[in-house]
Amino acid sequence: MIKFWKKRIKLGTLTEDLEFDTQLNEIQKEIKDHVHKKFAGSLAIRMVDSGSCNACEAECNALSNPYYDLERLGIYFVASPRHADVMLLSGIMTFNMTPHVLEAYKQIPEPKWVITLGDCPAMQAPFDKNFAIKSPAEEHLPVAHHIAGCPPDPKEIIKGILSFLRKI
Amino acid sequence: MRLIARYAKDRGNDFEIVTIYEHEVHKEAVPKADPAIKTLAKEHPSAIWFERKMSDDFGIIIKDAFDKRPLVHQERFPHTVYPMLKDFKEDVLEFAEYIPYKYEAIRGDGIFQVSVGPIHAGIIEPGHFHFSQAGEGILHQEVRHFYKYRGIEKMLEGKTLFDAKLIIERISGNESIAYQIAWRDILFSACGNELPLSLRKRHAFLLELERIIHHVTDLGFIPNDAGFGAALAYASKLSEEARRKMKELTGHRFGFGAIDLENIFYDTASLHEWLAELEENIIFFEDWIIDIPSLWDRFDTTGILKTEKAVKYDTVGVVARASGIMLDRRAEPFYLEHGFEMVTEINGDVGARYKVRMNEVKNSIKIMQHLLVDNTAEVELNKVKDGEYMSFVESSIGELFMAIDIKDGRINRFFVRDPSFMNWQALHLMMPNNIIADFPLINKSCDLSYAGNDL
Ligand code: SF4
Repeated sequence: MIKFWKKRIKLGTLTEDLEFDTQLNEIQKEIKDHVHKKFAGSLAIRMVDSGSCNACEAECNALSNPYYDLERLGIYFVASPRHADVMLLSGIMTFNMTPHVLEAYKQIPEPKWVITLGDCPAMQAPFDKNFAIKSPAEEHLPVAHHIAGCPPDPKEIIKGILSFLRKI
Repeated sequence: MRLIARYAKDRGNDFEIVTIYEHEVHKEAVPKADPAIKTLAKEHPSAIWFERKMSDDFGIIIKDAFDKRPLVHQERFPHTVYPMLKDFKEDVLEFAEYIPYKYEAIRGDGIFQVSVGPIHAGIIEPGHFHFSQAGEGILHQEVRHFYKYRGIEKMLEGKTLFDAKLIIERISGNESIAYQIAWRDILFSACGNELPLSLRKRHAFLLELERIIHHVTDLGFIPNDAGFGAALAYASKLSEEARRKMKELTGHRFGFGAIDLENIFYDTASLHEWLAELEENIIFFEDWIIDIPSLWDRFDTTGILKTEKAVKYDTVGVVARASGIMLDRRAEPFYLEHGFEMVTEINGDVGARYKVRMNEVKNSIKIMQHLLVDNTAEVELNKVKDGEYMSFVESSIGELFMAIDIKDGRINRFFVRDPSFMNWQALHLMMPNNIIADFPLINKSCDLSYAGNDL
């Protein structure tokens, strides 16, 4: 443990390459302002995977790593749809998941928004439409915003959330 | 004899039931008029899911099965539809009447049921876990999946190998490179080409990088599930760096599209440097984490899978090796020449699985150092020949098995068995004598794929 603190103190705070950092800082400042004004300081997201390959989830998890650390902007991933403002929907809406997705959406209190994450829910990923797939999500839910990519990387997700915030 | 997979094929007039064992392949033909077979579940409990899936996919009847519930077809799935039959061509399916699923449950005075999922509290994949509880203690658990069932096997039929690749690499995001390598091996056998060594090395290098990303992510998430968040912060920083390296080498953070036949130049000097730095960080991390007694208090003796049970349930990968089974598809000359060492533990608990991952990361770094060479080779593929092909790859989770039949240059039957498919069936064995609060920890220590399992 002592070694750990030694390293911690010796290293201090690191920044990534400056251009990326300043760019990110600006985005983050704007997000923070929006969240402050429109969501009283905290935006709660309920992530729902409706049949993804798990890469989209991995990128959402990466949002909490020390490089991006989304929580400092007041954006939280919450455990229950009843605590959420936004449903972040990934995956291709499988036959088996669709009823559960719709139920989760119903449980979110008004006002609520759906953001689709990745190419899958928009039926843009290389999968073919078949009996087991109910995408595109627009046919089932009022989609407020779409973040494209297969998967969108953490920076693209952050940018996507910002453009959603600008819209509403 | 270890059971690897069991699946069926629609051959027009009859079904062929293929059973793959460690060293043998059994084939059985059953007439469509009376599609009944006998279960293997008595010798191999892991045959149950294979057989239930066969019933859902083809309508094959397992005569003496004690578990005849549907597996892939959930409550609203029309129960008379068998999508893997060649004459099923529907693209849209309407929701049918809701038929409740009968969960395995222990009943009695004071015993209660806890249902978890399919949507979980964190950012994870959907699946259902059903617990029978006596207070905090778990008496029994049933794992129920296939919420992510995308009909991949059917989707790939009729495609060429090359068209299928875009989908194959997206079956399970964490194991994309492994799936692509399984595809590559089938491609090369179908073309009758020899795989050039330099290409093999580059692909193996990427497979180890994928393993590192996956293992290191888990090395952070497992302590996090025991309430030690600092480990996640440190490990997720390392895995982010490794993921960026993947992007730098392949153009994609998960390596989608990475396994190709191009000659790609790697700057070996800078990669050696990067590997050395990673190794240093991992050793530092290990040194730190091994020394936190309250964490190991949670890890040790939690979620034990005994060796006999691990063998009986035909488990694979990290789970099997942590229970003392020497099983790794990399135990072959190519890898042995390049620094591979089998990592095993004997306790079969969360701690053992954690240590296996930690040591495998270090071994993967060593393998990668051996694989770095900068010579290149040209390949010109012959024409794809019709036939039945199969391949095995050790993914970050365990042994991946893929089988593709090609007819008239197109895929006639695609089958893949993710390592998770075996290990999910053994998960419930780790539950008795544990409290429900430890379930997330035990589950994470196995870190199985839902997407690869459900297809
Ligand atoms: S959009 Fe791409 S990365 Fe995301 S779940 Fe779909 S296939 Fe996976």
